Amino acid sequence: MTEKVSLKDLERGLFRDSIQDGILDIQIGLMLLMFVLPIYLSPKLGDFWSSAVFLPLWLLVIFAPRAYRKKVIWPRVGTMIYGNYRKKKMMRLNIIMLVFNMLALILGLFSFFNFSALSGWAPSAGFSMIMLIGFSTAGYMLDMPRLYLYAILIAAAPVIGEYLYRNFGASHHGFPITFGSLSAALVTTGLIILIRLLDKYPPQEKEELI
Amino acid sequence: MSKAAPTENPLADIDLIIHAPARLNILMMLYVVESLDYVFLKNQTGLSWGNLATHLGKLEEAGYVQINKGYQGKKPHSMIQLTSQGRSAFQEYKSTFQQLLDDLPE
Repeated sequence: MTEKVSLKDLERGLFRDSIQDGILDIQIGLMLLMFVLPIYLSPKLGDFWSSAVFLPLWLLVIFAPRAYRKKVIWPRVGTMIYGNYRKKKMMRLNIIMLVFNMLALILGLFSFFNFSALSGWAPSAGFSMIMLIGFSTAGYMLDMPRLYLYAILIAAAPVIGEYLYRNFGASHHGFPITFGSLSAALVTTGLIILIRLLDKYPPQEKEELI
Repeated sequence: MSKAAPTENPLADIDLIIHAPARLNILMMLYVVESLDYVFLKNQTGLSWGNLATHLGKLEEAGYVQINKGYQGKKPHSMIQLTSQGRSAFQEYKSTFQQLLDDLPE
């Protein structure tokens, strides 16, 4: 039986092949780890030095995987420039993600500096909602179904953390346990995808040969 | 005895440059993106470097694709894109072929 493939499906397939390298999973995993890091850095280094360490690390998490993609993955997998349909979709996604990031940042800063004003389950529930909607939207717009699972897991992390804190006395609202383990799971998933991809696409012969 | 007039070949209108499966595959991919590089196209089509270069050469000769040669650092890196002529030709091929198949009796 032949499978019916439309041009739209073909475009979706090409797009997915261009982004399914595990880098996004690794980046999300490392970003989750960055939620945990200030908890340990701040008491030891103080606010100024913890920020001085934290910000370069944050930039490293954002830019190092991208540099790796450019240097190692693209020469093996190749590159494509999206068509107008995908460009518009990505532009919409970037705007939506910017809004969600701002909301998460505001909530995070507010919780970090003035936690007493937001007490109980409110910060955890708010953060969970932002993560759930944000990652689900990204999953839908990037055609990456596993982001729905990430959305659920990341949304559940602060709530589970809060539960562990209240019932079992886990430190720092359970963030180190929940976000730490989730981070490890996502980075591992990303690494598995990346290793399989590198195995599937060996280094290419030089283009000047053609 | 007069000879019967040859039957009109319905495939005569088909663009044979596009009709070859490998080139059709290449054009379909280029139709849905802005541009691709050689490596991506090679991985997606499963063609060898030699075959890919031959097919792209034919498409470029016909004016259907444009190969923008450039460099990424010190290495040569070319991007391939469909020309407006190639886009029109592909659309025409698509409608002609669709019409041809639609006209076939059940």
